[in-house]
Amino acid sequence: MRIQAKNIEHYYGIEHVLRGVDISIEAGSFTAIIGESGSGKTTLLSILSTLLNPTSGEVTFDEKAISELGNIDVFRRHNIGFVFQFHYLISYLTLRENIALSALDEATVEPLMESLGIGRLAARYSDEVSGGERQRAAIARALVNRPAVVFADEPTGNLDTKNALGVYELFKRFSQEGTGFVVASHDKKIADYADTIIEMEDGKIVKILKR
Amino acid sequence: MITPIKALRKNRFKTALIFMSMSVSIAAIFLISAISGGVVSMYSAMLKTDGDIIVTQKGIADTFFSDINRSMVDEIVQIEGVREAGALILGAAPVEPLPIVGIYGVSENRFKSYTLTQGSTPKNGEVILGSKIYETLKHPKTIILSKQKFVVSGVFKSRIGFEDGGVVMNLHDGGVLFHKSASIFLVSLDDLAKSDSVVIKINALNPDIEAKTTDSFIDSYNQFKIIKTSSDVIGAMAFLMGILGIVSMMSMVVNDRKTEFGIMRSIGLSSWVIIKKLLAETLIIALVAFSFALALSLGVLELIEHADKFQGYINGEITVSLALNVFVVSVVMAMLGTLLPAIYAARIDPMTLIQRGGA
Ligand SMILES: Nc1ncnc2c1ncn2[C@@H]1O[C@H](COP(=O)(O)OP(=O)(O)OP(=O)(O)O)[C@@H](O)[C@H]1O
Ligand SMILES: [Mg+2]
Repeated sequence: MRIQAKNIEHYYGIEHVLRGVDISIEAGSFTAIIGESGSGKTTLLSILSTLLNPTSGEVTFDEKAISELGNIDVFRRHNIGFVFQFHYLISYLTLRENIALSALDEATVEPLMESLGIGRLAARYSDEVSGGERQRAAIARALVNRPAVVFADEPTGNLDTKNALGVYELFKRFSQEGTGFVVASHDKKIADYADTIIEMEDGKIVKILKR
Repeated sequence: MITPIKALRKNRFKTALIFMSMSVSIAAIFLISAISGGVVSMYSAMLKTDGDIIVTQKGIADTFFSDINRSMVDEIVQIEGVREAGALILGAAPVEPLPIVGIYGVSENRFKSYTLTQGSTPKNGEVILGSKIYETLKHPKTIILSKQKFVVSGVFKSRIGFEDGGVVMNLHDGGVLFHKSASIFLVSLDDLAKSDSVVIKINALNPDIEAKTTDSFIDSYNQFKIIKTSSDVIGAMAFLMGILGIVSMMSMVVNDRKTEFGIMRSIGLSSWVIIKKLLAETLIIALVAFSFALALSLGVLELIEHADKFQGYINGEITVSLALNVFVVSVVMAMLGTLLPAIYAARIDPMTLIQRGGA
């Protein structure tokens, strides 16, 4: 799948936060969006992931506008994953149940947890595991239906360096298996893992680096 | 099924509040329906065992006001198909220390419908007491009615609470006490199929009287309608209160769990999944609350039945059909109360998760 954003403008009230952004994202790529705080990374990510409607401009999935995608819930469930800075695991469910929540095929849950190194924690609750393990469970939840793209906003914001690098490692591994990742981050180290680095400043893309 | 229970346990405090508000509403519906239904069915049972046709003064609002000439009984007995007819005076008067007691003046031929456990049928100046009131008054030898002393000549037992808490005397004394000839006639027939034609014949006897089959009498009896209507109104209020309780508590629950529903939306679970989830949760509470309210109501009715204060007048019964009806009402109450908060939950914008970042 190819996600394209064309000439995106976004205002919050009178505040102009995205100024003519064009971007194209391929399935299987690992794109990092970096930039100063307030440069518009989260806003762009929300627009690309269909959670937010831009003031103007268009996002297309394989040349189809969002309005042509049919039921947006179904589309999201099959094609888009999310990882937030905070894990947002549901506290009364075990890790396994959290991951299975949206699974189209429950049989995929356990192998996925194994491959993320949290297989033995399946029956634990989110307050019974470490921060890194929680975030890996949240990543598993995003990956469970093998979406075309996973969007992650500051996914390592609450993690120490070692855990953060582990998360980037996972993204890289799964992108090589075909899932696209778009990750907004302050962390410069992500550049060592991503294949495309997009730098934002003041609502505009100022640099695109491909490796 | 297990997941909703986990969610309820996690939010135990609010779950408990919803449970209590539902239980109270359901128990209120049970009690008001059972008590009013009990009153109506008790009185109906009394009338039904006593006769197939009831004759009252025409156009009267209540049998207590009815005044008819007892001598007409003799004419009614002559009608073909009539097996037996008896006159009855219905009255009420205080009997120290009870504020109000049902007094029945009955014709000779009706004494056989009272099973005496001791003593003999009342002659002039005598009364027999229902076993319940006999106990309440602590086995009196005499009682005073309108400043007149009556000797207690016997005690009878009756399944019907009204009668068991009442005083029975002969028709003559009843007439003197309440200044009337008779309140109603109760007519038994040889063959129930002939009831319509007998009703017509009785009505033809005198323009001042009105005969009805017991069934149609019960259907049209104003007091029953009043009791039923008030119980329906109170029941409906309890139902609405229940819904309001659920709506307000569920709104708080949804607000507490905003991120949970936001996450569900963001991972592509449909609104309907979220609505179903919340409905399942309240449904479980409703089932437990229903069982609890049923047990509570049965307990309260049992207490009321044995409370001396009520002399057995209040004799609520929870029939299977009442329980089924209230069950349906409980489910509907849970559903309606949850729907609005659930729809709100289903519309939570996952964007709130992104902008919040931290906890
Ligand atoms: N809901 C909102 N309402 C109004 N203004 C907003 C809203 N969200 C973001 N902004 C503003 O839009 C601009 C871009 O915000 P955005 O969250 O996209 O930046 P960011 O690059 O993700 O920053 P950070 O690195 O701090 O997360 C900021 O100036 C911010 O104050
Ligand atoms: Mg941000």
